[in-house]
Amino acid sequence: MLIPHSETDAAYVIRSAVADGRKFALCGGNTRSGFGNATEGAEALSSRGLTGIVDYDPAEMVMTVKAGTPVAEVEAALAANRQMMAFEPMDHRGIMGTSGEPTIGGVFAANVSGPRRFVAGAARDSLLGIRFVNGSGELLRAGGRVMKNVTGLDLVKLLAGSHGTLGFLTEVTFRVLPVPQTVETIVISGLDDETAAKAMAAAMALPVEVSGAAHLPQTVRARFIDGALPENEATVLRLEGLAASVAVRAEKLVAVMQAFGPVIRLGMEDSLSLWREIRDVHPYANGAGRPLWRVSMAPMAGCQLVAALRMEAGVDAYYDWQGGLVWMQMEADPEADFLRGYIRALGGGHATLIRASKSARAATPSFEPVPDAVAALSARVKQKLDPAGIFSPGKMGW
Amino acid sequence: MQTSFTPEQLLDPHVAESEKILRRCVHCGFCTATCPTYVTLGDELDSPRGRIYLIKDMLENDRAADEQVVTHIDRCLSCLSCVTTCPSGVDYMHLVDHARIHIENTYRRPLADRLIRSLLAAVLPYPARFRTALSLARLGRPFGPLLKRIKPLRPLAAMLELAPRAAPPAGSAPAISQMPQAQRPGRVAILSGCAQPVLDPGINAATHRLLSRLGVEVVSPQGEGCCGALVHHMGREEQALDFARTNVDVWISEIEKGGLDAIIITTSGCGTTIKDYGHMLRLDPAYAEKAATVSALAKDITEYLFTLDLAKLEPKKLTVTYHSACSMQHGQKIVAAPKQLLKAAGFTVRDPAEGHLCCGSAGTYNILQPEISGQLKARKVRNIEATKPDVIATGNIGCITQIASGTAIPIVHTVELLDWAYGGPKPAKLARKAKALV
Amino acid sequence: MAEAIAFLPARASVLSQRDNIVTDLARLVPADCLIHEERELAPFEIDAFISYRRVPLAVVLPRTTAQVAAVMKYCHRHAIPVVARGAGTSLSGGAIPQEDAVVLGLSKMSRVLEVDYSNRTATVQAGVTNLSISETVGIDGFFYAPDPSSQLACTIGGNIGMNSGGAHCLKYGVTTNNLLGVRMVLVDGTVIELGGKHLDAAGYDLLGLVCGSEGQLGIVTEATVRLIAKPEGARPVLFGFDSSEEAGACVADIIGSGIIPVAIEFMDKPAIEICEAFAKAGYPLDVAALLIVEVEGSEAEMDATLKDIVEIARRHQVKTVRECQSATEAALIWKGRKSAFGATGRIADYICMDGTVPLGKLSYVLEKTAEIVERFGLRVANVFHAGDGNMHPLILFNANDPEEAMKAEEAGNEILKLCVDAGGCLTGEHGVGIEKRDLMRHQFTQPELDQQMAIRSAFDEQWILNPSKVFPLEGRR
Repeated sequence: MLIPHSETDAAYVIRSAVADGRKFALCGGNTRSGFGNATEGAEALSSRGLTGIVDYDPAEMVMTVKAGTPVAEVEAALAANRQMMAFEPMDHRGIMGTSGEPTIGGVFAANVSGPRRFVAGAARDSLLGIRFVNGSGELLRAGGRVMKNVTGLDLVKLLAGSHGTLGFLTEVTFRVLPVPQTVETIVISGLDDETAAKAMAAAMALPVEVSGAAHLPQTVRARFIDGALPENEATVLRLEGLAASVAVRAEKLVAVMQAFGPVIRLGMEDSLSLWREIRDVHPYANGAGRPLWRVSMAPMAGCQLVAALRMEAGVDAYYDWQGGLVWMQMEADPEADFLRGYIRALGGGHATLIRASKSARAATPSFEPVPDAVAALSARVKQKLDPAGIFSPGKMGW
Repeated sequence: MQTSFTPEQLLDPHVAESEKILRRCVHCGFCTATCPTYVTLGDELDSPRGRIYLIKDMLENDRAADEQVVTHIDRCLSCLSCVTTCPSGVDYMHLVDHARIHIENTYRRPLADRLIRSLLAAVLPYPARFRTALSLARLGRPFGPLLKRIKPLRPLAAMLELAPRAAPPAGSAPAISQMPQAQRPGRVAILSGCAQPVLDPGINAATHRLLSRLGVEVVSPQGEGCCGALVHHMGREEQALDFARTNVDVWISEIEKGGLDAIIITTSGCGTTIKDYGHMLRLDPAYAEKAATVSALAKDITEYLFTLDLAKLEPKKLTVTYHSACSMQHGQKIVAAPKQLLKAAGFTVRDPAEGHLCCGSAGTYNILQPEISGQLKARKVRNIEATKPDVIATGNIGCITQIASGTAIPIVHTVELLDWAYGGPKPAKLARKAKALV
Repeated sequence: MAEAIAFLPARASVLSQRDNIVTDLARLVPADCLIHEERELAPFEIDAFISYRRVPLAVVLPRTTAQVAAVMKYCHRHAIPVVARGAGTSLSGGAIPQEDAVVLGLSKMSRVLEVDYSNRTATVQAGVTNLSISETVGIDGFFYAPDPSSQLACTIGGNIGMNSGGAHCLKYGVTTNNLLGVRMVLVDGTVIELGGKHLDAAGYDLLGLVCGSEGQLGIVTEATVRLIAKPEGARPVLFGFDSSEEAGACVADIIGSGIIPVAIEFMDKPAIEICEAFAKAGYPLDVAALLIVEVEGSEAEMDATLKDIVEIARRHQVKTVRECQSATEAALIWKGRKSAFGATGRIADYICMDGTVPLGKLSYVLEKTAEIVERFGLRVANVFHAGDGNMHPLILFNANDPEEAMKAEEAGNEILKLCVDAGGCLTGEHGVGIEKRDLMRHQFTQPELDQQMAIRSAFDEQWILNPSKVFPLEGRR
């Protein structure tokens, strides 16, 4: 593994690789590099040598950090000022069975987010600026450190979620938000998946600012917060903010949700644990290695997909993002075409194979294949940033 | 916005005025969004900003109007929705007036168009001729579908469709004020108008009755005629100014006779024009001052009633959707008064969606531009019917005729409802329906 | 007017084929969707950036995606430049065409196609105005969050082109944060779909790249946007200060304290007077600077948040505090603010800057802006989104005075450079367009511009889409 300790070094290493015809698999702490199509003969090039907080003025709500800085370090610095990353980046170590330190660069390169994503945006929505080395070894900047910026093409969004196939991130600048004063969770028990989707949609139509909406079917419910959730399925809704305000909103929400089923309320401590576990896909962080899919669809379509799949295969699933994010653990190796066919039939979305046996991974495109015209466009875009094709060629399909 | 006029061009007071108007426009484009024709056609040439640009180009280059410019100016309803919207205060009304005069003076329209316009200008402003024409229209109705098929004759077909099917009922005689002269809140003249008394004499009758009951002395000066709006909007400036001068003379002599507190207008389209007499005649030294006096006295009936202290009445079980005529809300900026009067009189008042959009009547527009007018009518009726009213109220005879031709819901003048609520007879159009409701 | 910014020279090969091109286009779209008469082309030579104008070759106003695709395929085959146009409200000249270009206007594609409350999305044609989405769903308790000041007129297609923001994006984000998917016609006429009702992308975030690409990557014909439940209540409060510096410092303190109002808008004295004259919103006229701070939520919540904000404002010697008492009053306060640019037309012509700076630099940049404008002998009115540092100095000038117009442009350029030097950027929400194109070098290095241009080429190899904009002409390959 190559670990440059400065941007200049990184640019040099990359330029040399172009000259030598070598290929790199870009990474940070290597805790989430396991998904994506494998690239043969690629050498790991990690940003973990580039660390440290470059600039953080809490009053500006903006932080600039070197890409290899551990997420833990960033979170600690933010917590000291009662601030946070609004997109709640998940920790992949549990489900991927990896160890090591997740880096902030990895968070943005994989566009990692958590339960708040459906209202507060993904990592890409908080990312304001980047410094990166492209495939020609040029050190470039994109974006800046202000929230509103439409100066030139938005390469920030393009690089976010490109899984290290377009450029080597060396520094990221992102927006942060104050930590809510209090958190509370409303738990509605006993709803089937479809009713839960309706209940969550009803909650999102209320002026109560729900910041988390997940449905935990019976198969997974007991695996959250040490089985402390009530019997039966649990549909959970999170409220955050000033204590007085949360109390008022909770009452309004409960009043409406009681029509769907029995309701209890969880306090701050349980809520924090519950949503961290939902974020980190706790039920499937079991090292079992059964195939794990992450599916993003329209919120009302998630439960339809699972219902359709259950007719054909053993599926264990739970829902986040009002039902639009489905985490699915399959009994057997995946039948990707079958799954993806259903997704298309139900209005579209995308399924990512997060975890599977080596053979299954070799046979299955990890990322949802895109239509030919979009794939061709994507390949051309990659070619413009990485003309020699040295950054994980084929990882995303091109 | 930048303009390029020569000092010589600016010697013409009309050009000088238009230049000033154009300079205010910053081309922000807000006006497009509330323009009925842009919303309908989706072409900037049929938006205020597009028209302003066409006019600017034509005037700056001292060019005669041509077919393209005329097409897009003709499509303008003069609803003045853009004037309400414009943050820069562009006086589009006087700019488009100028453009219409320029067109009339420099452009030769196709024969059929010329004939129809001359016909309208010769008939509509004159009640006797209009009454005769309406009787003929009832006879001519069977030919409508035939006329519709021949494009240049479509305006004739539109005319036939708009003509009321039955002869309008005569208004009942007004009561005479019983109040002693000294306690009377005012002495006013009511504009008798031209088309309205023919199409619906009940409106002015109701106005007369209501004002009289309220103790207002109402006079009907002899000799007044059409306000001039109909020909004014065709760019026939001299004819319009002649109408204006006639009316100014009549009212000024009435003022000299016994004083007037207001000149009451029951057709908001006329109100917009009469309130503009001061501007229209500003260059005529003999009339400028008198015209300004008249304009200052001109009041819509609801505007005037609002200044009187009308009693608040018990709620009635009658839902009124109030349609604000463009000349009322945009031309005269009278927005709240009619609705507040109706509410005070006990009616439940509703606003239709897209209330700022024209119903497509716009003077002679529904005759000259039947396609666009028809689309706007359908849209307006859809929005009004969505509010499920028992009756529609508005303050302009043009809108009444237009909307009535598209819906079964009765439509009356605001003052007819007010007259009824404050002791007058039930409006004839409500006779069947409202019995059960009140 | 003398022009400091050059357009690309018109392609003679295109100009010479004008009549043939018009004949061919007439076969691709219905007659009322094609404009080619000289007179009728003139109104399309300009948008809301009034300093530059170019009469286009022709204008097409398609009604369907298929018609857009047919026109693109044709123009691509014949290398004819295409400039997309929504409502023509761009303040950076993004929709100004060029002599050899076909203007592709989306104004006839103005239907809301689907409203889906369960999934909280609306799918609309590109020519739908921003405000009409919120009007359509408002009755059911939802709204579409980005609210550029021109929201009454500007279209979603244009919003996507410029990644438009608005007053309320402090809380809800700008267009890119609220856009879920598009149907888009590529330069060769291929129709693709990016995103949908789901979140995040299957592959690269091309949707994020397209948003803010100023009509250079393709023509968006439909968009799926996120709807949000309307808050229970919203209350704008007016805070008047004796100096712009105090107002600026107060903004930084509010944000620094961890309170994020939905909007914080700033107006200086000239701007207050201009807006009051139009909207009669009751803005205080005896103060040097005004903040409109809007909070939302339940009554209790708004009271609590406002109490904290008022306390911070008092620390900055706030002179007047006026809470809005009714919905009508609130509407007037926003009407005045949102009409600020147009209302300025009552007193002068203007060019509107759009630089964004870090919050801590607000006061400094305001002060320097005043100095610059004074040095050029001009006047300035400031009205902007203070909460996110997006400044809009309006430089007032007389468009009929070429020298003054030139000075206004020069002063504007200096102000934008100042924003970049203060750690900000050239444009927060209006786009680079033609206006700021030649300043791009001040913000980016040549390799950075080269990289952006290369990616642009991946979408449009021949550079026929809005080719005179965004990237300086010098240094193009």
